[in-house]
Amino acid sequence: MNSSRKELRSLSSSKNFKKVLSNEGYAAHTPTPHKARCRFMDEWRFIDFGLVDIRDMMAMDEAILKGDEGNTFFFWTPKKSIFLGFFQKADVELNLANCRDYTITRRISGGGIAFSDDRGRQINYGVVGTIDNDLFPLDIIESYKQICGVLIDTLIHYGLNAAFRPINDVVVDSKKISGNAQTRWEGKLLQNGTLLLDFDIEEMLRISNIPKEKFFDKKIASIREGLTWLDRELGEQRDMEEIKNIMKRKFEERFHARLKTGTLSQREKALTNSLLPKYYSHEWTYR
Amino acid sequence: METSKTRQGIHKSRGGLIRSFVATENGIIKDITISGDFFLLPEEALFKIIERLKGVPANREKLQEIIEEIYEKENIQSPGTTPSDFTESIMKALEV
Repeated sequence: MNSSRKELRSLSSSKNFKKVLSNEGYAAHTPTPHKARCRFMDEWRFIDFGLVDIRDMMAMDEAILKGDEGNTFFFWTPKKSIFLGFFQKADVELNLANCRDYTITRRISGGGIAFSDDRGRQINYGVVGTIDNDLFPLDIIESYKQICGVLIDTLIHYGLNAAFRPINDVVVDSKKISGNAQTRWEGKLLQNGTLLLDFDIEEMLRISNIPKEKFFDKKIASIREGLTWLDRELGEQRDMEEIKNIMKRKFEERFHARLKTGTLSQREKALTNSLLPKYYSHEWTYR
Repeated sequence: METSKTRQGIHKSRGGLIRSFVATENGIIKDITISGDFFLLPEEALFKIIERLKGVPANREKLQEIIEEIYEKENIQSPGTTPSDFTESIMKALEV
């Protein structure tokens, strides 16, 4: 294990991992002083893709995982869309007749449907990292827990009782507020997730292929018991940019890294272009 | 020849819902697909399971044996979901 860890360490000191000495950053962020003594701070790439078509985003998502630009943290805001988990079937999960004004695609990780409406009150993030058994554990649930910690720290910042619920959820007072999905590729992981700021249960039921009608009100009440969102918990709407900035800070603290705003490399852009036909294809989405 | 209609079996594991759609012919699995919101890595290994199950006698022991074999061969990790969960889902489709 030691030798493989060394290998990973040497990998992470390749050209894409600029080490930055930052005493100042550590004094501000690191809770345990012993860690501050002798560590250099990694510089990680940060990208905010803004409002995007989900198909373009999923192509970029996969390109970041399969590219070679090092650890990256990113945000995006999807236009009205639904994205299916890798193993789901569109016609089984969705009431397709009610989904005509949604853009639908599939992602490369498992898990369930995520949908976003016109209001866009949700924060979507992605993390690509090299699995090193330190920051990113090999154990899948442990690695979910580590990354979900960023969301939990953010929610705790707002005074909420947030916790990790295995396998891949973040809950506030036992209600799910964030769903997360991870896949892995050649020693790296990609985790995508959503932090709900607002959520329209009725709309979710309308687009889902769940028998409703009869117990519609009861169903909504029971979903409200199991699911929540930030605006509801706080009783007010916080500015999305403010929340994202807190997430960035919590990310830097948790991963002992400094986020530096960057863009996709030429290679990632080329990879994205080669992946676009898949995410736009009927075969991929409706297989 | 007795070909059954495609039937659906649903089983919930801790890792997610597993839906199996199975058609049999004379007790042999003729066609099968598996979908759901579970996690399984590497993802493509699920297709290997599905391909390998076609033409196999539709009984619990045989299904379990094949799924476990592919889990081992492909180093499958599926947090919250075990080979038995897939077997259970397929068996539910067979018992409909």
